[in-house]
Amino acid sequence: MNEELEEQASLSAFDLLEGAERAAFETRLAGDSVLQAQVDSLREIAAQTAHAAPCRQPPDYLEAKILNAIRAETSVAPRATSSAWLPWALAACLALGCVVLLADRAQSKKQITRLEQRNAFAQLRIATLASQIQSEPDAIGAVVWDGTRQEGVLKVSNVPANAEDRDYQLWIVDPDYKNPVDAGAFHVAQAGSNDIPFKPKKHVTSASAFAVSLERKGGVPKAEGPMVLVGK
Amino acid sequence: MPESPAPQPVSPPRRARTEEQSNQAAADRELMRRLQGGDDAAFASFYRRFAPGLFSMIYQILQDQKEAEDVLQEAFVQMWKKTGTYDSARSGLFTWATMISRNKAIDRLRSRQRRHRAVEAATAEFAAVPPEGAEQADELLGKSEERERVRTALTQLPDQQREAIHLAFFGGMTQAEIADKLGAPLGTVKARIRRGLLALRAVMEPAAS
Repeated sequence: MNEELEEQASLSAFDLLEGAERAAFETRLAGDSVLQAQVDSLREIAAQTAHAAPCRQPPDYLEAKILNAIRAETSVAPRATSSAWLPWALAACLALGCVVLLADRAQSKKQITRLEQRNAFAQLRIATLASQIQSEPDAIGAVVWDGTRQEGVLKVSNVPANAEDRDYQLWIVDPDYKNPVDAGAFHVAQAGSNDIPFKPKKHVTSASAFAVSLERKGGVPKAEGPMVLVGK
Repeated sequence: MPESPAPQPVSPPRRARTEEQSNQAAADRELMRRLQGGDDAAFASFYRRFAPGLFSMIYQILQDQKEAEDVLQEAFVQMWKKTGTYDSARSGLFTWATMISRNKAIDRLRSRQRRHRAVEAATAEFAAVPPEGAEQADELLGKSEERERVRTALTQLPDQQREAIHLAFFGGMTQAEIADKLGAPLGTVKARIRRGLLALRAVMEPAAS
C-alpha cells in the first residue's frame, strides 16, 4: 500500500476525510478488501486513544436516567406519517431538480440552498451529481432523498446507455456505515433523461453523499466498477 | 527540519492474542446478540462496562460535566437504536461504542462553538500523560493494564506525532484546523497522523500468531 493511501486510511480512522476526498476514498474502500482491513485495523487503534483521557466516573444517577430514556424510546411507536403528500413533493422537487440541471453550477447551488431552507421540503435532501467520466462531461444527476420514508428518486441526464451485461448502481454514503449503502442497480437503455426511484438496502440515517458506478448486470454488494457520477 | 521517523516499538512488547482476549471477543458477541434482541438487562451490563471509559473520553472532548452527561445519554440511546449496525467481524465492541460516543461529543463541541477553549484545556491536560491521580481511578475501573499500555505507547511517540494524534481524536477539528493549530503545513500534519497511528499500532496490536 502506498503512503498516500495509507495516509488517507489513517485520516479516515479519525473521521478526518471530508467532501470529495472522503467520497472518493469511501468508494475505493468499497471495492478494496485489503484497504478495508487496513482502515478497520487503524480504526481499532484510533479508538484506543480514548484511554488517554483521564478517568472520570459518571454520576451514579446517570445510569437510571439513561435506562429510563432507553425504555421510553422502546415504548414509542414509530411515528405515523402520511404518504399522500409524498408523490407530489417528490414530483415538485424533481421538477425543480430538472430546472437545476439546466442551470449553471453556481446558480444550481443557490437554488438548492434555497430549497433546503424551505420548511415544505425540510425532510427532503437534494443533491446534484457531477460526471466522473472524461468522455461524457455533460453527464449529470440529481437525487431527491426522503430520509423519513427511506426512499428517493434519482434523475440522470446524458448518461450513456450501458451494455447488456452491465448496470449502473446507486450508492449512498452514510457515516454510520463503513461502506456506501447499496441503493439499487438500474439500466439505461437510451441516453437522455431517466428517472429512477430507489430504496436503499439498509437504513440510512445520514446521506452525506451519493455516487453512481458502472457494475456487473444486477449490481454488486460493494462498488467495484468505475465511478460515473458523484455528488453531495 | 525533517519529521522524525516513527519510533521502533521498544516496550511494552507485542503480545500474542491471549485466551482472555478471545473470551472477551466471544463475550462481546453474546452481549451484542442480547442487545439486538432488545434485552434491557443486557443493556444495563453494557452500560456498566463501557460508561466510565466513554464518559472520561466525552468529558475530555467537552470539558464540561453537564454536557458530558447529556452526550453520554445521547450516545447510549443511539447505540441502543443502532445495534443492527454493529459488525463483529469489522470491529470490537469497544471501538464501536467509542466511535459513536466520540462522534456525538464532537457534534456537541462543534455546535456549541467552544472548540478553541476546550482544546486548549485538553491539550494542556494531555501533555501530562499519564496524569497524576489517574491510576487509582484506573484500578477502580478495572482497566488499568489496558490504559497503561495505551498511555505508554503514546509516551513513546515523538511530541509532534502525539499532539497531532491527540487533536485528531479529541479536538473535533478538521485537517486544516489541526494544521493551523499546530502551525504546520497540512501535508506535514497528515504525515504525523499517519506515522503516529502506525507507530501506535506497531506497539499495541498483538502479533499475529
